[in-house]
Amino acid sequence: MSESKNKNILLARDLHKSLGRGAAKVHVLRSLDLTVRRGEFLAIMGPSGCGKSTLLHVLGLMTGPDEGRIVLDSREVPDDEPSRTLLRRRHIGFVFQRFNLLGVLNAADNIRISLRVRGLEMDGRAEQVLDQLHLADLARRKPAQMSMGQQQRLAVARALAHNPELILADEPTGNLDSDNAKRLLELLRQVNRQETQTIVMVTHSATAAETADRIVRMADGKIVDTNV
Amino acid sequence: MGYLPLANILHHKLRSVLSALGIGIGICMLVTLSGLARGSLAEVADRWESVDADLIAYPDIWGENITTLAGVALSDRYAAKISETGGEAVENVVPVFLWQMKLAGQDHMVAGVDPRDWEVLTGGRGIERGRLFDPQGRFSAWIQQRLGGDVENSDEVIDITPAELADPDHCGLELVIDSRLAAAGSYAVGDTVTAANHEWKIVGVTPVGGMARAYIPRRCAQFLFGGADITKSTLMFIKLTAPADPAGAIPKLRTAGLQMAPLSQYRRMLEQKFAVMFRYVDAVNAITLIVAFLFIMITLHTMVLQRQRDIAILRSCGASNGFILRQVLTESAMLTAGGAFIGVAGSFGAAWAIEAARPLLTVSITFEWIVIAMAAGAVGALISGLYPGWEATRVDMVEALAWE
Repeated sequence: MSESKNKNILLARDLHKSLGRGAAKVHVLRSLDLTVRRGEFLAIMGPSGCGKSTLLHVLGLMTGPDEGRIVLDSREVPDDEPSRTLLRRRHIGFVFQRFNLLGVLNAADNIRISLRVRGLEMDGRAEQVLDQLHLADLARRKPAQMSMGQQQRLAVARALAHNPELILADEPTGNLDSDNAKRLLELLRQVNRQETQTIVMVTHSATAAETADRIVRMADGKIVDTNV
Repeated sequence: MGYLPLANILHHKLRSVLSALGIGIGICMLVTLSGLARGSLAEVADRWESVDADLIAYPDIWGENITTLAGVALSDRYAAKISETGGEAVENVVPVFLWQMKLAGQDHMVAGVDPRDWEVLTGGRGIERGRLFDPQGRFSAWIQQRLGGDVENSDEVIDITPAELADPDHCGLELVIDSRLAAAGSYAVGDTVTAANHEWKIVGVTPVGGMARAYIPRRCAQFLFGGADITKSTLMFIKLTAPADPAGAIPKLRTAGLQMAPLSQYRRMLEQKFAVMFRYVDAVNAITLIVAFLFIMITLHTMVLQRQRDIAILRSCGASNGFILRQVLTESAMLTAGGAFIGVAGSFGAAWAIEAARPLLTVSITFEWIVIAMAAGAVGALISGLYPGWEATRVDMVEALAWE
């Protein structure tokens, strides 16, 4: 455990997760094991329906596993929702495929609300992180007034704002053209290197996955291959 | 804390305005209907309390509530008896004959009073236009002359023709009205109005605030509405010598067949008489408010359904159930605050419109009822926001984000 504490930010052991009920119930994750090292950029690839997004949701503590255990930053994740919420709030930032920004708020307020939710009153942090991602001029624009690439950069800015140890990205380039996708991957790479934040990215794209330090492949709810 | 709810409200302007309007209508109804029901009664009570007297004497067969007392009820002899019994404790006894007359399309309690006692009933308000009816007491003198002088002991049935009654020299069918009735009926001094099957000449207008809306000579009222019996009135006002102790004076002044009450009890009598109406008004108000808050609840419920993704985004950032609940309750409180503002402003507007359209009605918008409406709004906002708020805390974040 002490070794894990030093080297690994996230451990998943023997994870099982089913979705749906009754006849529609699908066993999505099947005895899945995964280790994410502190500071690495990990890409998870696999065909549609293999359980990539479900794994990200479980690793991101958005939902609990049916069985198995998760260790985040050397702490065993409890089963209860309030504890998961607390850990998610402190340690994790999300980047979604469709950005998931709040349409009624402008760019700066999207970041501020994420800080407030976390109980953080960080004066000037929103402006700082927008400036860092070259979005300072768009601070007062609402998401609908921004391009897809700008929206995704804003989503990254929101994920970074509270300095999480772990950023989980679910198909972050899925809605972007190739130029914007490339810029976003460069940005994630830069964040990973300069801010030393661990990034776990689920992607279909082999090009996107090549940005990562390590690629794991999933099939039928299991990790079947890793390039390390 | 407040800016996401505020942003949501501003983003959905039409829905927000409609929601606030729904609440506003409920609060406006609460304040206006209460103000109308209680204001009209309070205005009557205020007018009675303006009478320069301490006690009301009335027949004991009438019970404890005299708010509908009218016509022949009490022998005028009681006036002398009360004065005699009270001695120096009684300063003045004023017999009044009350009758209903329809003026300006509405029934009014008309007070028949002797010209010399008229200032007692109006609290010294005087005449603002025209003159007092029968200022020299001609009608009283004429009718006593026709009865041979002994009014109280006469059992003669006198025959007076309509022409004699209407003779301007007798000053019998003269009417003084208050300025509010004059405005409501567009009456002016010199106009003739038909009421209680007689033609009355309006000879004066008095400022509003006296006991009645209209005043006529008492002898005329007794003759016309008391079956030509000019020895009986409806009630008597008693003015005690200062320092007055109305409650203490009653046992000393009361005699067989006579009941007395402090003038200040008239307001309570009115409230008791119309207690059922207040319950009805309050019930209507309660139902209106419940409907308004159900409207808010449905609006917020719809909002939660529509914003499941936004709620899931907040939860993905680590928002607690408390945070989510506070967002919904804050939005509910903001809508309610807007509605309360609309409602209170609307109630002042409604009061103005009602009194302009129906000058005889009084809408009393009181601070007390504004506070009650605000409190009802605050409680309603909390209750109507709780269920949608609870629903919001149960949004499945994975499912909501997967919808995209």
